[in-house]
Amino acid sequence: MWRHGYDLSKETGLKSGTLYPLLMRLSEQGLLESRWQEPERSGLPPRHVYRLTATGLALAREQELEAVAAERAGVLA
Amino acid sequence: MNAAPSRSRRLALTLARHAAWMLPSAPSSWAQAMRHELDYIADDSAALRWAFGCMLASYKARLTHWPRFSRRPAWRHVATSGALMLLIGLALQERAGGQTEPPRPDFDETTCDLPGVSTEIRPRLRCGTVSVPRNYDKPDAGRFKLAVVVIKSEQQPSWPEPVVYINGGPGSPLTVYAAHQARTPYAPRRDLILVDQRGTGQSEPGLCPDLAGKLLEAALAFAASATEEAFATRQATYLACRDQAIGRGLDLRDFGTQVTAEDLEWVRKALQIARWNVYGESYGTTVAMTLVALHPDTVRTVVLDSIYPPNPVPLWSTTVNDARDAFFANCARDNGCSMSFPNLAETYRETLARLDQKPLLVTVPPQMRQPDDRVILTASLFEAVVTNLLYYPTAYPTLPHVIQSVHDGELQGLGQSLGQVLGPILAAQLAAAATQNRATHAAVECRDRPHYRQHLPAGAHGLDRRQLYGICARWSDVGPPPLVPAGTRVPTLVLAGQFDPVARPALSRHVADLIGGSARFVEFPLVGHNVRQFSACGARIAADFIDHPAQKLDTSCTDRTSPIPFLPKRR
Repeated sequence: MWRHGYDLSKETGLKSGTLYPLLMRLSEQGLLESRWQEPERSGLPPRHVYRLTATGLALAREQELEAVAAERAGVLA
Repeated sequence: MNAAPSRSRRLALTLARHAAWMLPSAPSSWAQAMRHELDYIADDSAALRWAFGCMLASYKARLTHWPRFSRRPAWRHVATSGALMLLIGLALQERAGGQTEPPRPDFDETTCDLPGVSTEIRPRLRCGTVSVPRNYDKPDAGRFKLAVVVIKSEQQPSWPEPVVYINGGPGSPLTVYAAHQARTPYAPRRDLILVDQRGTGQSEPGLCPDLAGKLLEAALAFAASATEEAFATRQATYLACRDQAIGRGLDLRDFGTQVTAEDLEWVRKALQIARWNVYGESYGTTVAMTLVALHPDTVRTVVLDSIYPPNPVPLWSTTVNDARDAFFANCARDNGCSMSFPNLAETYRETLARLDQKPLLVTVPPQMRQPDDRVILTASLFEAVVTNLLYYPTAYPTLPHVIQSVHDGELQGLGQSLGQVLGPILAAQLAAAATQNRATHAAVECRDRPHYRQHLPAGAHGLDRRQLYGICARWSDVGPPPLVPAGTRVPTLVLAGQFDPVARPALSRHVADLIGGSARFVEFPLVGHNVRQFSACGARIAADFIDHPAQKLDTSCTDRTSPIPFLPKRR
């Protein structure tokens, strides 16, 4: 799913100053792809949207699993 | 956002611009993405917080690309606590460390080596080059030298705020026509600036300069018969050029309308012009609109002469059909034309059907440089010729006669028409096509136009098949899009020709509507593409508008257009 920068910021609670460097880094590593989306209304500029690439998605899932595993490990310990 | 922006909003915009400026090594899209996002944040103080964060983000990006800081874990703290201090610090470090400084806008004056310049015009010309960054996000990635000509107004002292003329294409040269431009100024009291867009004319890079020749050889063959084989040959020619360019170290992502607009902004700074009037013609309207959208404060007025359709672009063949139908309808309404050529539209359709059955061998004037001065006229070649003639009001009187002659297989009459009127037009067009850099054309269009990545359906019209479909997907990826300055305050004039085969008048009107209240739209009867070139009325209206944008436009001359003096049918 394609997401806008501002929406991502609101959802993650990350300010733009933290969010964009992260997005840029993910993009540089080939984990994130971006494209321009035509404006929904006239009078507005096109908007940049982002989503994880297949690699990014795989990595995210891997980390999610790792996190779950770590939590379990914590519980067990 | 029609109301005047608040102080917070203005500050937010300034910060976002500063952020874009500070972001040297990341792709331009990031800087733009941050700036554009601002327009979607309704709350002014949230926008300001957002913009401030963007500025910090750009500092961080800069720091991580700066070797001395990149491995320090404390950079985040440093950046947030003293961003402005760091800006100064970085600037000092750049000097002290002997690093490459980012290129600065500078006009390097040279002697004028231009064709056809008379002794009267020569003293009014200043020629030179401006070195622009190849990539505005990577100042160290090298530069391209652009050819620039300043034509001083004949009337001195000239008025402030010159005109920059942005020509069509993309891919066509401009400074080579400086002598003609000096004789036909857009606003005679003002100086005129001409720039060869990157990859065109005398400007670097010379992108596959031999491609035009190779394609021209194939063009008529392709026009004659848009077969799969002709299509594949043409595609291979383009892709060989692409490989050659990449082999020379060129990055095909360094093209596109946004980068061309930034080049013009760089030239403006180099010439130390505070504000200028922008005159865009055909594809130049695309650059002009993008320039206004990106740098509105630098533009006093903008004229958009004959819109080049913004995305999403309608299929070209449908636009051409409408223009041709409008021309045929004009003939039907004209007493003389309808008497000589009753139902010209039907005659035209029959002609295509006949040529499909049996192409004609036609003698053409020597200036068209065809083997043995003969051409096999097929239906698709004839369609291409008629389409080309719709650009030229000077061809309109003869056009019905040409269609009738081909329809009747009456080659003597056709030969006369070709020799007298159409031959010179078509020859001039072929000559102009030879000076166009087709590789730059592809380089810009493939970045600008996502639709060229789509597949045309089988049996698509030949006119559409001659576009860049099937080429762009293998040429480069899509770049930042050309922009329409919707809601701009810059006074804008949109000129449209009734028979324009590139953009329907309705589409041009739609663009004017998108731009909003600052745009005025004028349609010119019996004109095709390039209004000002073919309409004295259009030239006067444009000049009045540039000099007095706040005044009410006197467009009454459009009502006094004389009917087309159609040639009668020869007996």
